[in-house]
Amino acid sequence: MSQSSVIGAGTVVRGNLEGEGSLDIFGRVEGDVTMSGDVTVGDGGSVRGHITANKISVQGAVQGDLHGSEAVLLERGAKVVGDLNAPRIGIGSGALVRGSVRTEGEPAVAGGAKRAPVAALKPAVFAAKPVAKVEPKPAPMREAEPIAVAAAPLPRLKEREPERRPPPPVLPSLGKGAKAKKKGR
Amino acid sequence: MAGTVIGEGLSIEGDITSDEEVVVQGNLRGKLTSSDAVSIGSNSVVQADIAGQSVSIAGQVTGDITAPERVDIQAGGRLVGDVKAARFTIADGASFKGAVDMEV
Repeated sequence: MSQSSVIGAGTVVRGNLEGEGSLDIFGRVEGDVTMSGDVTVGDGGSVRGHITANKISVQGAVQGDLHGSEAVLLERGAKVVGDLNAPRIGIGSGALVRGSVRTEGEPAVAGGAKRAPVAALKPAVFAAKPVAKVEPKPAPMREAEPIAVAAAPLPRLKEREPERRPPPPVLPSLGKGAKAKKKGR
Repeated sequence: MAGTVIGEGLSIEGDITSDEEVVVQGNLRGKLTSSDAVSIGSNSVVQADIAGQSVSIAGQVTGDITAPERVDIQAGGRLVGDVKAARFTIADGASFKGAVDMEV
């Protein structure tokens, strides 16, 4: 009893809440909430302000950042406009979020390390694709490739076309003719 | 259970408006308005004007109290402020400093 607080559905608090223990919010809070224990924004509850707590679970609406020292859990019906920051973050189906999500510690570091090589590879792949394909592939492929480059400049299409063509050998010649006509036009 | 409970260990700086019962066991600084009963627990420290249908005080309150029904200061309770209510009781062992308006 002493360590647990409730903001009932018919209650509006304009100001900051700070303290120990757990807090359940079913009403409206316009201000920052800082608790050492757990904070629950229940169904129908709303908070306009930042929430800092050990574990934050949301079923209502929050406009502000959520910072959990243990976890942030968004359940069905939750509506959050703000950033989520906690070692453990759960977003259930039916929960709406607009903001950046960040899990602290190792996962965040690993994610950052992965991002850099992926970003570096992408441009290289796009640039190298036409050249790399022409060289290693057999003669029929080579013929198809340059035409494809001229007619369809999208690299994705190039990938798909050679895969489809090999089974029927007649098609490439038809394809050449059709594309050549297009070229001429 | 009461609609709203400000538990021990929770401090609120600001206004509380409610249409349900409010129990304060923690600290409050600002203003508290409810159309239902308000009760200030024995360990709480409140610096706020309080308006409620009825107000019961067992902790320390600094501020004016308004209640159409009644205001009770329990034993051990301490109130510094004016009281406006139809009924007003001060228990033995309570302390009170302020003016009383019972609309006579």
